[in-house]
Amino acid sequence: MSVPWVELDPTLVVVAAGTTAVGAVSGALGCFAYLRRQGLVGDVVSHSALLGVVGAFVIAYAVTGSASRSLTILVPGALITGTAALMLARSVSIRTRLNDDASLGVMLSIFFGGGLFLLRWVQRQSPPIAGHTGLEDYIFGMAAAMTRADLWMVLALGGGALTALLLMWKELKVFTFDPDFSRSLGLPSRLLDALMMALLVAGVVIGIQTVGVILMIALLVTPAAAARQWTSRLSTMSLLAAAFGALAGAGGALLSASEAGLPTGPVVVLLATAIFTGSILLAPRRGLIARARARRAMRDLPPSAAGGAS
Amino acid sequence: MIEFWTLAIAAVTALACALSGSFLVLKREALVSEGLAHAVLPGIVIAYALTGDRTSPLLLVGAAATGLVMILLVQAIRRTGVVDSSASLGVVFPALFSVGVLLTSMDLAGEYFHADCIIEGNLALAPLDRLELWGRDLGPRAFWSVSAALLLVIGFVLLLFKELKLLTFDAELAASLGFRPDRVHLAWLAVVSFTIVASFEAAGSILVVALMIAPAAAAVLWVNDVRHVLGLAAVFALASAFAGHHLGLSMDIAPAGPMATSAGALFLASLALAPRGILIKDRARRRGLAQLEVDLVAARLEPGQPRECESIRGELGWSQRRFGAAVARAASGAALVHDAVAGTLHLSAGQAEG
Repeated sequence: MSVPWVELDPTLVVVAAGTTAVGAVSGALGCFAYLRRQGLVGDVVSHSALLGVVGAFVIAYAVTGSASRSLTILVPGALITGTAALMLARSVSIRTRLNDDASLGVMLSIFFGGGLFLLRWVQRQSPPIAGHTGLEDYIFGMAAAMTRADLWMVLALGGGALTALLLMWKELKVFTFDPDFSRSLGLPSRLLDALMMALLVAGVVIGIQTVGVILMIALLVTPAAAARQWTSRLSTMSLLAAAFGALAGAGGALLSASEAGLPTGPVVVLLATAIFTGSILLAPRRGLIARARARRAMRDLPPSAAGGAS
Repeated sequence: MIEFWTLAIAAVTALACALSGSFLVLKREALVSEGLAHAVLPGIVIAYALTGDRTSPLLLVGAAATGLVMILLVQAIRRTGVVDSSASLGVVFPALFSVGVLLTSMDLAGEYFHADCIIEGNLALAPLDRLELWGRDLGPRAFWSVSAALLLVIGFVLLLFKELKLLTFDAELAASLGFRPDRVHLAWLAVVSFTIVASFEAAGSILVVALMIAPAAAAVLWVNDVRHVLGLAAVFALASAFAGHHLGLSMDIAPAGPMATSAGALFLASLALAPRGILIKDRARRRGLAQLEVDLVAARLEPGQPRECESIRGELGWSQRRFGAAVARAASGAALVHDAVAGTLHLSAGQAEG
């Protein structure tokens, strides 16, 4: 009985399991954001989460007197500021002449700028608050910092989000593809919209520790965009995006562990990008190569057959 | 003296970013700045590794070219029709940024560009890095590079103001008039990209994005004319640069976060106070709605013929409260006369004649 995992460093197992779970969950949840053309919304949520992470750290320190970087404390903060930024941006773009792009960009600046401001302030405190050094890692991600408790937090939040997704699958599907039709069916569109937003925020927040707030957008959008090339069925697309995300996450953790000083986040993102590039080139029918071939076949037809339609 | 130069660099950076960002905000593509601010990173590192000369203008131009590479990649992916434009931006810029972070972590440009500066730059050290030409000290290098960017932006806007405006508000009209909007747009994005690269060292990616979007977005809430938007955005940007610099200095932290937050605070203040913000617009809308209700009640009345309140209310299908409020408003404005004893309404004499 030789179990291959046993030979691996137990820390690495936790980290690899964490990044794999993150990749799978945000890949699946990202499909909805992708299909609703809200990919960049995830970027604003993840940047805004920094303020929540640092804020939760400060509040927990002020209340309990001891510093903790456990995800069980930091994740709720990230959820709150991520949602707040999203709701503010939406209200600005509905109620003023600014469009989504501008209102999202402003909220990103405010929340991420504020998060950075607070982070630098925390780091300047004297006597220094123990454990503040790890907060910086949320910017670029530090997969190696993941503890067993953090992994449980990721699995719980990710599992919760996926369960909600499965329970409301049909409703969310109709709402995504045809909001007007879903309203005419009497589905509660406000509730569905809120659920969609909550799922997006959850999908982003679980990954900020491993991939970092800046690059998290890629785990949301890239696997979904890659999966879209292979299929037109939402269920297949979600499963495929989850698989792509998991592959990128696991590969990134293992690759960056094999080479000292190789940051995990960028490696995960580049693996996902490689999958995306392969998909737009190779996918049957939609892929660029398949289409070029189809075009050539069309050109090579005898003129009578090619011009038959006219 | 050092403080003077930090402030000068911050001010010029703020101006260059705000002016170039205004057109992005007006063209409704503000998040392109977020993409560019990340995508130029590999260009900066590679250009330095290749030239090895930090004073070389080639460095700035080479790095700015990466921004254009991002734009062209996004356009190419979008043109294939397999991925929509916001998602293709979301795929491309993190990938380029990841390459940049990996290259930075390999320390290719160690002495020129340190990993710590990616997000917030290093304004505090910028004045110490001097530009020396022909053995003379001409001031901080960063000041000259952001000034070059500012001049480029101003020059472009002055020369091609009409084209930019057309392109921003009606690209199709611009095309039908023979202006080649795609080329002007690309040239403009090249200028934006150059501005971002020049600002990067002192400001970092977050401040670049904040200064490009927030002042312009705030200005749009106050004024209509493009020239006024540009002017007001410049004022807001300068104010955030000064406020943020002061805050950072007094708290002894890097000024990028405080500057971005100040720009955000100015936007939030505009949101509350500006004529096209949230609060003020609501008050105007409420007033309009109230007048509409009065008009709706008045429209149900013929001159000189009183009607029962209840029957009017029934026709409108309003609640007691809504109807009562509308009647009270109408009576206080002397548009209608409410006979409380008979429970009837009729148009006031002046109203009937008019």
